[in-house]
Amino acid sequence: MSTTEATPAPPARGTGDVVAATDLTKVYGEGESEVRALDGVTISFPHGQLAAVMGPSGSGKSTLMHILAGLDQPTSGSVIVDGTELAGLNDQKLTLLRREKIGFVFQFFNLLPMLTARENIELPMRIAGASPDPAWQDTLIDAIGLGDRLSHRPSELSGGQQQRVAVARALLSQPAVVFGDEPTGNLDSRTGAEVLQLLRRAVDEFGQTVIMVTHDASAASIADRVVFLRDGKVVRDSGRMSASEILDTIKTLE
Amino acid sequence: MLRLVLRGLATRKLRSALTAIAILLGVTMISGTFVLTDQIDRAFVQIFEQGNAQIDVVVKDRPPFEDQQTEVYLDADVVDRVRDVEGVALAEPFLQVQGYLVANGEQLVSQGGAPNFVFSSLPQAMNPYTPVAGRLPEASGEVAVAKEIAEQGGLEVGQAAQLATQAGARDVTVVGILQFGDGTTSLGGSTSVIAPLADVQAWWSLDGKASYIYAKAADGVSEDELAGRVRTALDDPGLIVQTAAEDSAEQASELNALIGRLIRFALLGFAGVAVLVGAFIIFNTFSITVAQRTREFAMLRTIGASRRQILGTVVGEAFVIALAATLVGLVCGLGFAWGLNRVFELVGFGLPATGLRMPWQTVVVCLVVGIGVTVLAAIGPALRATRIAPVSALRDGAAPPRGRLARLTPVIAVLIGVLGGAALAAGLTQDIATEQRLATLAAGAIAIFIAVAILSRYIVRPVVHAAAPPITAVAGGVGRIAAENTGRNPARTAVTAAALMIGIGLVVFVTIFVGGLRESFTGAIDDSLESELIVTAQGFGSPLPAEVLPAVRAVEGVAVASPVGGTPAQIGPGTFALIGVDPADIDQVYSFDWEQGDDALIAQLGADGAVVEANVASDLGVGVGDSIDVVSITGATATFEVRGLYADEQFLNGVTITQEALGPLLQSNATGINTLFVKEAEGADSAAVQAAVEAALEPFPTAQVQSNAEIKEQIESGVNQLLVIFYALLALSVIISLFGIVNTLVLSIFERTREIGMLRAVGTTRRQLRRMIRWESVITSIIGGVLGVLIGILFGWVTAQGLEAEGIVFILPVGTLLLFLALSIVAGVVAAILPARRAAKLDVLEALQYE
Repeated sequence: MSTTEATPAPPARGTGDVVAATDLTKVYGEGESEVRALDGVTISFPHGQLAAVMGPSGSGKSTLMHILAGLDQPTSGSVIVDGTELAGLNDQKLTLLRREKIGFVFQFFNLLPMLTARENIELPMRIAGASPDPAWQDTLIDAIGLGDRLSHRPSELSGGQQQRVAVARALLSQPAVVFGDEPTGNLDSRTGAEVLQLLRRAVDEFGQTVIMVTHDASAASIADRVVFLRDGKVVRDSGRMSASEILDTIKTLE
Repeated sequence: MLRLVLRGLATRKLRSALTAIAILLGVTMISGTFVLTDQIDRAFVQIFEQGNAQIDVVVKDRPPFEDQQTEVYLDADVVDRVRDVEGVALAEPFLQVQGYLVANGEQLVSQGGAPNFVFSSLPQAMNPYTPVAGRLPEASGEVAVAKEIAEQGGLEVGQAAQLATQAGARDVTVVGILQFGDGTTSLGGSTSVIAPLADVQAWWSLDGKASYIYAKAADGVSEDELAGRVRTALDDPGLIVQTAAEDSAEQASELNALIGRLIRFALLGFAGVAVLVGAFIIFNTFSITVAQRTREFAMLRTIGASRRQILGTVVGEAFVIALAATLVGLVCGLGFAWGLNRVFELVGFGLPATGLRMPWQTVVVCLVVGIGVTVLAAIGPALRATRIAPVSALRDGAAPPRGRLARLTPVIAVLIGVLGGAALAAGLTQDIATEQRLATLAAGAIAIFIAVAILSRYIVRPVVHAAAPPITAVAGGVGRIAAENTGRNPARTAVTAAALMIGIGLVVFVTIFVGGLRESFTGAIDDSLESELIVTAQGFGSPLPAEVLPAVRAVEGVAVASPVGGTPAQIGPGTFALIGVDPADIDQVYSFDWEQGDDALIAQLGADGAVVEANVASDLGVGVGDSIDVVSITGATATFEVRGLYADEQFLNGVTITQEALGPLLQSNATGINTLFVKEAEGADSAAVQAAVEAALEPFPTAQVQSNAEIKEQIESGVNQLLVIFYALLALSVIISLFGIVNTLVLSIFERTREIGMLRAVGTTRRQLRRMIRWESVITSIIGGVLGVLIGILFGWVTAQGLEAEGIVFILPVGTLLLFLALSIVAGVVAAILPARRAAKLDVLEALQYE
């Protein structure tokens, strides 16, 4: 974690865990066909960390993210996001929590085709009926480097540009945590790198917390922390790793 | 969020436009109906206001009971007592009857059913007619005519003509050409001839009678004041005294109740059908788009949109589409009304015209119906959109979840269907007011349509599987794919087909119903009449001159000419027809369908015997041996004993007595002869006899002679005209349902973009692709057509059962039904044109990369 210089509006956050999960299990089906997607996962993510969650297909990494983000309910266990226990929240409260504390970057279908890039960035704030901090918005727009293409529709932007717009959208409300679901999965390596750099800057310069699920080793190599899952369990939880170390680890897991 | 809604609509222009059309056409009909009937209403008010503009008080007869079909008269000398009232400047008796001019061998009658009036002349100071050439008639044998007739017949002042009166043709001279009011008011096709009072009284057997006494107030006396004074002076409960304003308002509203309301009721009924079809299409379109936008809604949910906001987005979209469609529909309504005016003119039924105007109530009704129905139809899909889980944004192939009630859907549909059936049964059998009956029937029919629409999803797959082999045989591989595509989403196909089903169903229903109606008329002619010719008077319900009877009896080749006539009479709580027949020969021209009694009864009816139509008897609650008390329209009373019962809804639908017994109950101008049934002598040449009868009746121009076959033809052509109008009005609903098919196809092509790219990539030609879409369309339209024909037959059969007592029969016009099926196939082909072109135009590469 590096401190920032000349950042106009660093979000004022305390230290400590932004997301904390305790003994999470998620079971699909019953009896013979029972699948334990998560099997007793306890994990926490401190403020200001860029974390990557990796694992083979069916390891439970997507399920973990869905549950951490309040999109899915665990069979048992607890999740606390920025001090709020998710268990027992109704749909309305979960919606408000997502609105205020969580940002999302998806692999596909990220932007509304009928809105311009700028309107897409502002969308969550509009939905919430709030107005964005103009200085912070300018900083973000500057950071995604879209220049004069802000008034373009998504169909007129490249995949990388679209995804950078999506990142800006996730950051505009200064959420406690941004979740990324394979944010580079649909991009080539060069444009993917641009998106990753943006996420890195969000953490380093703007003090954001980012948790992304990925199976791209080079994406995970920019993370401060790499968490490996297999069969619903955390099998390795490491600090920064190089791409080749990550690939080796994956081989041992498969 | 509003911006999201508007942008969304702008991006999906075609879809939005197709959806808007679904509601636009229905709103157009509603708006047009109100504009048209408002125009008619105002025209009638204007006619009567201008007619009464020169007078202040009207005195008229108060009949013992209300009967709008019958003109009543008061004694003309009442005018002397009115003249004596202080404040009366002028008072005159006024008489109006039906008749027309014959000039240069041409009958100058109205086109298309408007009345032909003869009015007695009033002093100019009281007369709404003013001469534009010549003068008002004064001496006997003089007439003046409205300028419309003068134009029609090329009449000039000084010209000799004949006036067709109840007493036969009378020679007259045209002394004036007149305009009504300020000359701008159309009289809706009716004709008017003005003659001196004494002539009208004499020629219409109304000596000493008047329709009204008109009075004009002296300066400084108000209408109300004068009416009060006249009422006090006359002090007669048998007379009604009204101000001119009251009278014109009453007459206008009576006519409006008769004509404007009828047109409004009928047109709004068809507009309702169009709106119902539109609702189906809106429901379907929104269901499909919500399913297609699952990812989008889920994404919005993950970034913090609440369920209510999702609901707001979808409902807001429906609202905006409906608002735009309603506003356009309102304006189109003006065009619709204009077009209907032209159509009425073309069929010779000129509506009384004033300018077209959009009353504000129309705007309110259209906004409420247009927006209300659209939003209501979209609310189901919108609720479905709110149930999309946010996590769907992160998953592949997500679809909105089924509602909690989804499993119960078939049960609910069956329940709706049963309730609808019960409503139909109740509407047909229960004894309720006409409007309630129609409302109950409509609700029942709508419920059945909805039930069938829901349940038909279960037959889509079996139908598709059954249809696949023959289609494959005809169209090859793409036919097979088309069949499978149609079965892929049965609910969607079912609702699309259901929209067409409603239109076709109603077309089939009116065909069967009107066919049954025609059969009940023509069947009665075959069953009841033993005569070959019928003589009637022109002008609805007018009597024939008494001299007609001996004239026809004297014709060589005529074996029997038997008179039938009648008057409305109050019997018990209701008004029924009191019918007089000639006991000497009625049984030779008419065959009674006896339920109790036989032909021998007729000869013994005498002065106090009656035979009663069976349904009338059951309405009256009387049987053989009971006596019935009768009050005729003149106030005369009589008592008859019921001697027998017979069934006949057409000719003798009432209480039948002898001509002799009827006489004292008639008004002074009535002859008791409305119809002559004429039977030819054995072995006579029919055509020659008819020609001879026509020749014998030449002095009586109001008498018209028709053979049974001619009457049947007349009924036939009237029925066909009615059918054409019904078809034209239902065509709009069918057109709306075509837009529904287009919409469904466009949407399904859109969601299958990648698949279509794949088909093209593996070698499907554009032509094959177009054929595939066309078959999808045709399969859907055949399902709609077959369901429509079946449901139309069902409705027709149920109605025929319910109205069996009225003589309505159930006939299945197989050829016509097959034609409708063929038409629905054509409809499918037409609907597929645009979607097929869009599908064929897709670029293979782009389509393959499409997400």
